Amino acid sequence: MAESSPDVRDAIAALLPRLRRFGRTLARHPEDADDLVQIAVEKALTHTEQWRPGTRLDSWIFRIMQNAWIDETRTRERRNQTFVDEEAGANIGVNTTDAQIDAIAVRKAVAQLGDDQRVVVGLVLVEGLPYQEAADVLGIPLGTLTSRLARARDALQALLGDADLGANR
Amino acid sequence: MNISNETLMAFADGELDPVLRAHVEAALRDDAALHQRLVALQVQRKRLTQAFDTVLDEPVPDRLSRLLKTPPVATPPLPAAAVVSLAEARTRRAGLGGMPSWAQWGGMAVSVVLGILLGTHLGDQKPESDMGLRPGQLLAGGAIAKALTTQLASEPQAGASVAVQLSFVDKRNGYCRTFSTSTLAGLACLHDGQWAIQQMAAVDQQASGGVRQAATTLPRSVLDAVDQRMADSAMDARAERLARDRGWRH
Repeated sequence: MAESSPDVRDAIAALLPRLRRFGRTLARHPEDADDLVQIAVEKALTHTEQWRPGTRLDSWIFRIMQNAWIDETRTRERRNQTFVDEEAGANIGVNTTDAQIDAIAVRKAVAQLGDDQRVVVGLVLVEGLPYQEAADVLGIPLGTLTSRLARARDALQALLGDADLGANR
Repeated sequence: MNISNETLMAFADGELDPVLRAHVEAALRDDAALHQRLVALQVQRKRLTQAFDTVLDEPVPDRLSRLLKTPPVATPPLPAAAVVSLAEARTRRAGLGGMPSWAQWGGMAVSVVLGILLGTHLGDQKPESDMGLRPGQLLAGGAIAKALTTQLASEPQAGASVAVQLSFVDKRNGYCRTFSTSTLAGLACLHDGQWAIQQMAAVDQQASGGVRQAATTLPRSVLDAVDQRMADSAMDARAERLARDRGWRH
């Protein structure tokens, strides 16, 4: 097990905000999302030799997060059965703007998607990865990624409608 | 000309090769409905991005940035065992990382708790005391016992002095529930009509910001005790209500 170089540590540190954002698309609870980031960063630091320089560091850690998420799904579901979503009540306050209300609606809609669809939405639409890069992260063919993304977007459209295009609904 | 959803989506996302792209562009010129579908996709992507971008502006929690502070040269790599599970991470988050087991600091917690709760009540157990003793057992009393008997984890009560987070059936087929107050958190199981404390830990009032409703905030020792005893899984809201309404009798 190689010690991670300071360069890699710095690079991962710079990625933290994005890792947290990606975590939010996977986990429905913000604290779970940060736990996922923590697990992935710890794994990445102990296995930096598995990252191939020249490939994207963000994609590599996204993959670790996704795998950790799959591994933990069972435990999480069990523990969360009667958990109260702390964010649910805290979301809307008196000063909430339209943009914030829309953001909440969008995050809720994403949370309703299945794991397979949430992760492609997170990688492509939220993190902005090219289709092929996202397919590589997930270890699936490009065609599978594309159809999964299309289905996810259809589902989101059905849940959310068009904010600016009400007549098109 | 028929442009599939997937093709249009790939076009919107800038993923088409030049030939297909020109094809879609041509189709868009005289197909208003197609154009509208394209705009919908673009709007959707923008909404998605905006909905999650706020996370980027949040301060990164210390527990994450701490992981990446450059260690002193001699520091050995993190042991593989440091990576465990969400459950583990969650309990580390509860702020007890340096005190890994109940065994190590349980004595302290118990003495603090007993000091707080029993005080002069030892040998003079008043009914309103939050804890009582039975030979070999610490029992929940007062507000804690009342909350354990009546409150539903699925319906947290704002402003209540005791919160109940999780209900489950243990391996001996008895009911168990976790609870917390502003100063302590624990697991109690019903034995002979009384809520017997199985595990308890002092919680840092400042760190937790009062009575917490989510089980994710329970101390590690309590979550571990839950894991050890839980027979199957936590009860859902319906099962919990049913059990409560039956007075926690099978």
